[in-house]
Amino acid sequence: MQIRCTINSRPYRFECEPEERLLDVVRRLGMLSVKKGCGEGECGTCSLFFNGKLVNSCLLLAPQMQGAEIVTLEGLQKETETIRENFAKEGAVQCGFCTPGFVMRAYDYIIHEGSKDEKRVKEALDGNICRCTGYQKIVEAIVKSMS
Amino acid sequence: MIYHRAEHLDDALNLIHQHPDFLLLCGSTDVAVQLSDQNTVQGLIDIGGLSELRAIEMGSESIHIGALATVTEIMESAAVRTHLPLLIAASEVFASHQIRNLATLGGNIANASPAADLTAVLLVLNATLTLGSKQGRREIALDELFCGYKCTKLDHEMILGITIPLQEHQWYYRKAGARERLNIAKVSLAVVKNSGGYCISGASLNPYALRLRHVEELLNSGDVSDEKISEALAQDIAPSGSFRSTKAYRTRVAFNMVKEAFSSLEAS
Ligand SMILES: Cc1cc2nc3c(=O)[nH]c(=O)nc-3n(C[C@H](O)[C@H](O)[C@H](O)COP(=O)(O)OP(=O)(O)OC[C@H]3O[C@@H](n4cnc5c(N)ncnc54)[C@H](O)[C@@H]3O)c2cc1C
Ligand code: FES
Ligand code: FES
Repeated sequence: MQIRCTINSRPYRFECEPEERLLDVVRRLGMLSVKKGCGEGECGTCSLFFNGKLVNSCLLLAPQMQGAEIVTLEGLQKETETIRENFAKEGAVQCGFCTPGFVMRAYDYIIHEGSKDEKRVKEALDGNICRCTGYQKIVEAIVKSMS
Repeated sequence: MIYHRAEHLDDALNLIHQHPDFLLLCGSTDVAVQLSDQNTVQGLIDIGGLSELRAIEMGSESIHIGALATVTEIMESAAVRTHLPLLIAASEVFASHQIRNLATLGGNIANASPAADLTAVLLVLNATLTLGSKQGRREIALDELFCGYKCTKLDHEMILGITIPLQEHQWYYRKAGARERLNIAKVSLAVVKNSGGYCISGASLNPYALRLRHVEELLNSGDVSDEKISEALAQDIAPSGSFRSTKAYRTRVAFNMVKEAFSSLEAS
């Protein structure tokens, strides 16, 4: 079926199968910040903004993209600059696989909630898994990005 | 696989009538997992765009939640925050932020999973559902919707909305899982105490979420011993052993939660 949508403010038009995942389509179109971790909604590496809400793109089907506005980390380079720098400085990046998903959630949290309370930040990361860092450095990088 | 997107409610009801074996698709958080497990689905009817079914409305005697309201929208509703703190407590430990942005209340009920947390909460709040089909509308108590594991009495119908009566009540909610969050319940227990006495239900304790009538009766009698709680639970729950936890574990946790609920609600 044919889909029209916007990704990172650019119009797209492409063919897809109804059972394809949004995740796979977005990657095929070149947005490689969107990673496939678990494929079942548990790890958050596939997070992107879908009509303004942060969601797991592995849980959505390609036809749900019809008319939608999608934003990935590629489209938020300027907006997330400070966050990304702080992740690097604070040692919140090790293997880096989870990082784009965490940066997306950090940005979402900062613009919508923005409490510097570490407990709140930790809770906000409930949909993202990191196998390397132990989370503390990620929390610190996010808090630092708010000051 | 065939995909249809309903543009408005009449459209959706016509599509359901024409394709009775197609699966409805809303937030898709359960359907996505179902599609990877067993791909026998022939077609999908996407109802996610029916914005007329998203609203949360405060009435004089009840709150009405559109079936398409997401868990995030429920948490952001001032009416729900004020009058249904139990539903907020369960929403706060529901899955993850990203999933709460997609998951709908209608989907949680219709999916009829044993682990449906919000469904368990709505049972003790005496929720009723409005169902719609090409034939018209009908109301049904949530309590009467399920007929077994993943089985509902929906008859080529969709859930349009959920109505929850307003009542003075005290409540208790606990959810046990492997992690603090992003957590499909090993056991969750929702308890309401109102002028009529105790209402209790739980997730992951039976093939589908249901009221624990013997435990309710016992707590209402006020004559509560450990032994009697165990007896009543044995009559009310039949947890499965699964990869998530054993039957004995679930029974033990349910026991502890019932005790804790009783002592905290009696004390308050
Ligand atoms: C990682 C993960 C964690 C989760 N954690 C939890 C949790 O903590 N607690 C919990 O309870 N659930 C949890 N879930 C399950 C799921 O997110 C919820 O059940 C959600 O509410 C389903 O809503 P949906 O809109 O995504 O439904 P969908 O997946 O779109 O649909 C689910 C089912 O309901 C039917 N349906 C949907 N809407 C309607 C309607 N209006 N009328 C009739 N039928 C309809 C569909 O045909 C389908 O069979 C989790 C899921 C995942 C993937
Ligand atoms: S790949 Fe989507 S949440 Fe893990
Ligand atoms: S840095 Fe390796 S998974 Fe997070």
